Amino acid sequence: MALSARLLALRRSPVLLKLPPYLSALCILVGLGWLLILPLNEYSRQTYISENAILPGQVHTYFGGSEHNVFRAYRQEVYGLSERSDHERIAGLGNVMREQGLKVANQSYSWNVAGEEISGTNVYGLLKGPRADATEAMVLIAAWRNFEGDINYSGVALALTMARYFKRWSIWSKDILILISEDSTYGPEAWVSAYHTTSITPTANRNISSLPIKAGALQGAVALDYPAGPWGQRFDKLDIAYDGINGALPNLDLFNTAVQVASSQMGIGCSLHNLKDHSDSYKDRLKTISKGLITQSVGHATGPHSAFMPYHVDAITLKTIGDGWHDEMTLGRTTESLFRSINNLLEHLHQSFFFYVLMNTNRFVSIGNYLPAAMIIAGSFSISALALWVQSGKPTPSEGAKPMSPGEKRKQPEMAVVKDGKNVALVPKEELEVIERKMFIPAAVVLGVHLAGFIPLYALNHATRSNIPYTFITLTAATLILPQYLARHILSNLPPQHIFIIQSLSLLLLGATLSTLSTLNFSLAFLLGLLCSPLSFVRPLPSLRFSLEQTTRYVSTDDAAGIAANLAVVAPVSALFVAVSPPVVLWVVKGMFFGSGGVEGMLVEMARGWVAQGVWTGAVVWGVWWPAWVVAASVLWSGCWRRPADEV
Amino acid sequence: MRLSILLTLPATLLSLIYAQEQHSYTEHLHLKPLPDNSLYAGFTFTSTTPYTAYASNHFRYFPRSLAQILQYTHTAELHLRFALGRWDEESWGSRPRRGLREGGNGVELWAWMDGAEEGWSDLVNSLSGLFCASLNFVDSGKTTRPVLSFEPEGTLEELQRKRSRTGELRLLHGMLPHEVVCTENLTPFLKLLPCKGKAGISSLLDGHKLFDANWQTMAVDVRPVCTPGGDCILEIEQTVDMVLDIERSMRPRESPIPRPLPIEDVTCDETKGYNGHDTCYPRRPKGETAWSLSSVFGRPIRGSCALGGSEKQEYDITFEVPSERTVEITSETTIPQSTTSSGSRTYRLPQNADFDLNLPHQVLGSSAQASTLEQPPLYASRQLTGHGAERGGMHTLLRNPHPYTQRIVYLESLPWFLRPYMHTLALSGAGKMEKMFYTPLLDRKRGTHLELLIEIQPLSTVELTYDFEKAILRYTEYPPDANRGFDIPAAIIRVLPSSNNSQSKQGSYLRTTSLLLPLPTPDFSMPYNVIILTSTVIALGFGSIFNLLVRRFVLVEEVPGNAIAGVVRRVRDGVARIRGMVKGGGVGRVDNGGGGVVKKGEEVVGGEVRKVDGGGRGGKKDR
Repeated sequence: MALSARLLALRRSPVLLKLPPYLSALCILVGLGWLLILPLNEYSRQTYISENAILPGQVHTYFGGSEHNVFRAYRQEVYGLSERSDHERIAGLGNVMREQGLKVANQSYSWNVAGEEISGTNVYGLLKGPRADATEAMVLIAAWRNFEGDINYSGVALALTMARYFKRWSIWSKDILILISEDSTYGPEAWVSAYHTTSITPTANRNISSLPIKAGALQGAVALDYPAGPWGQRFDKLDIAYDGINGALPNLDLFNTAVQVASSQMGIGCSLHNLKDHSDSYKDRLKTISKGLITQSVGHATGPHSAFMPYHVDAITLKTIGDGWHDEMTLGRTTESLFRSINNLLEHLHQSFFFYVLMNTNRFVSIGNYLPAAMIIAGSFSISALALWVQSGKPTPSEGAKPMSPGEKRKQPEMAVVKDGKNVALVPKEELEVIERKMFIPAAVVLGVHLAGFIPLYALNHATRSNIPYTFITLTAATLILPQYLARHILSNLPPQHIFIIQSLSLLLLGATLSTLSTLNFSLAFLLGLLCSPLSFVRPLPSLRFSLEQTTRYVSTDDAAGIAANLAVVAPVSALFVAVSPPVVLWVVKGMFFGSGGVEGMLVEMARGWVAQGVWTGAVVWGVWWPAWVVAASVLWSGCWRRPADEV
Repeated sequence: MRLSILLTLPATLLSLIYAQEQHSYTEHLHLKPLPDNSLYAGFTFTSTTPYTAYASNHFRYFPRSLAQILQYTHTAELHLRFALGRWDEESWGSRPRRGLREGGNGVELWAWMDGAEEGWSDLVNSLSGLFCASLNFVDSGKTTRPVLSFEPEGTLEELQRKRSRTGELRLLHGMLPHEVVCTENLTPFLKLLPCKGKAGISSLLDGHKLFDANWQTMAVDVRPVCTPGGDCILEIEQTVDMVLDIERSMRPRESPIPRPLPIEDVTCDETKGYNGHDTCYPRRPKGETAWSLSSVFGRPIRGSCALGGSEKQEYDITFEVPSERTVEITSETTIPQSTTSSGSRTYRLPQNADFDLNLPHQVLGSSAQASTLEQPPLYASRQLTGHGAERGGMHTLLRNPHPYTQRIVYLESLPWFLRPYMHTLALSGAGKMEKMFYTPLLDRKRGTHLELLIEIQPLSTVELTYDFEKAILRYTEYPPDANRGFDIPAAIIRVLPSSNNSQSKQGSYLRTTSLLLPLPTPDFSMPYNVIILTSTVIALGFGSIFNLLVRRFVLVEEVPGNAIAGVVRRVRDGVARIRGMVKGGGVGRVDNGGGGVVKKGEEVVGGEVRKVDGGGRGGKKDR
């Protein structure tokens, strides 16, 4: 009884009511700090192989000898094919595999995004494992053009050589598919989606032909990216790309196996995100984590392997970087050993982590340790939302808010007697009043803004390349004007309670969405949480309008000074707020990652991701972040449009 | 009594001597080189025994161990298959023996039985022991009763008439797709042969080579053959079919690792401009590879399995090669040989002498290879589609390559955890579904049996699709390798013989590959176990305490009366009272001794009102 009474008393404690903003700020700081301590040894772990069946690097590799001669010939052949037409190239690649005794088939695909066509033809071969019963398969991918758009001469040649070499072994318990896709993003996407469907019905912007040859369930895929030309080039390190579409990750065991085979068995150093020199210091670890965060949050493909992740096929890309002393044979032996390990698998990779943050090739943080960072940040919005909800249920402060004129007598608040058993208390009547929350208008505003989020999403994904910059500029302008409009015409006319509820609902939605998102794509939720963090602290700005009677006559100096003072607050706050608006952030991102080119490069990539690959980062930006920002901005600027008289 | 036995003894002996003519044993090996450096080898071992001898437990060549199982389980006809790998129709043409001696991946068994379910259960369990296979897992959930797919090979009706049985023989069919066929199954298979793999063509059957094959299937078929009005014989045909990769099989056993060949041994394509000392585009060597029986199988045939005696015995080898192909015979004795016009050669195996075939490297005319391939009756492929743990789809493609309409029977026996949506079953393309036999599944008891009679137009493709739902298994129903997925047995396709071209009433068979179905699988790691255990403990503890706290114990009198129940009780009490009066045992009081506690002579009834109302079904208490 005593406890509940105390809790009830606490509910009305003025300290508690003032606490939430500080609590929110603390949450954001803790969330950010959480990420910063992850690179420490105490909070991260050494990677390990969880699945016993893999036995990485336990087999002797035999790839070498005359295979090197064959490889050189294939590389010349690939080079020769690169100078022919697409049609001849496809036929030529098919012929090489057919001569090796593989079953060969082609698959053409096309998408229509932003008024442009993405099209190509994949050619792939099936090596039937002698011990296999067509139930399981693994994939060796060598995209004709790598992710940067260079022709993958040595990668394709190596895949062909490996196919010929693998053909002679009788140990394969799974079929091996050799996929030479046209490019590194859409070719594999078309192939893997056709692999998992009967026939893909062609639509206006998609036409993928079905696969004539299929094997069993895919157990793993390894892509080779080695664009060295016909005379070869030695490399220094293997960069392992592992991010999938929408931030899905392959099983950590596959990644570990690749690292273990490359570094322990073959002596090739491995790297992540093109960070060649990793001294395993705190700084380098943090750098790797942040690069990983950014790549994962974008959710776009990072290589031919990315398309496989949504289909629960674990995949990685081995990309050669630098100038060193490792040659194609070492990469070949790495691939051989890696395939032997995948071949050893008795079950689908499931043993190790699917959710992890890598900070080095041999250190990681598991979901239990990193997830709180994003969760706490998402929690800050929920705290603010709850505080605003409580506030909306309290009567508008009638007396206290008004500055008291010097001679005025303080009016005694009406008191009420509260009895609880033997205890009797005098409580201001105001405290006991329960105000009915009028929900319709706030809910309608929040819902309307969220629905409006589909407009930019649709516009940006359906505009043609030439139109897309104008669409985006219009969108940026509209994004900045819309809150002003809402503030002036709707929000400034609403009672404060409605404003509290609007903000509360919006933040509640944001908090819930971000915490859900953090389990799916941690990085996106975390970064979005940080970008949204000012939204928790939004309160209506001071008014910039003269009171009605004053405007009709003259402007008093007092008023002018007051407005100037208000403007000094409004201007920086508004500037900050504009800076964290989704379009402005996208402009900044474009400037950072897409160089000097037009904004259309980034936007077309986003549209392609949405249409062709099902990347939902765009949907999160326009469906979660944008409405939350618009609502917050409207609330922020509603104060400016409010007449001073209204405030009273 | 004894005298009568003595009198009948000579008669029995006489009948045995008479019947001996029907004991026979033949061996046959069919060899056929296939494109892509492959070699098909089909071994056939046939032995027969008269039915009378079988009934009186007298065996000569027929394996006793198997015969006793058949007798005990009243099996009239038995077909058992062990299969591994895939037949590549595109490269190898039609299937050997029209697919009649082929099984789906793993183990397949079907039999016509006389009697009830126990017979089948006994049969699978005994065969499981005999062949070292997990056949005992063919339980009711994996057993189906196909209607159209199988025809008895033997003369079952005659047999029944002869044995003057009236009951109908029942066909039961089971498949184990996950069973990995291995040497442990080959050894008992060879043990059934009279020469037990020591002599004759069976001496070539070495586990290392057999299971390194690209495709192999072992079959045991027992069937009764009755001449109308005459005697019946029981025939067992054991077959082993395989396709060997010649190059791989010829690797020495000491170093089976396919190391890259020395560059001198690789044939380079010298027409390529970049050909050089360090660059070599590999070219396929022209012509046929040189090989011999002993290099491919690891040893020559160790003479024939001549068993002596006067019975009919045949031991021969048919070698189906184009007539241009040179074949050298290595044997100490001269071998009788006959050649057909197409080039097929037949050899009779020598007794007590090794036999080897030797084929030198030879470049043949281009016409020789292509003509030997026969087109298969039908092409079939079956795939799972979709991803995710909830739903999936099945997609089967059937292609008729012939210029005439074919009718096929498509049999699918699915495990219960794959729940097909029959409303989504669709046949598209130039085909027509004539009949459908469908037995819906029962969870954990029976799988789906789906049999379709389909007519496929000439030179066209038919697509059969349906969606299905994946069931969630119970915790203990998952196998140790739960994340591997669950094997779905192959679909069996029987191409019915066309009326104008009646080869036999069997038609020909083909089977699709088996499939791997990923089911929703819980994370079987430690936290999951901990959650399950703690939840169980909490549920138990909470449940009992909650029960104690909430359950209300009331007196019968306190139970609110229900009109109908009251009437019923009054009537029942009345009847009991009358009965008690009739018996003269005084007035018996009957109450419903549901649950509850009875103390101090009071009548207390378990708390639930329902129980009180519907009571009386439990034990009666007379006081």
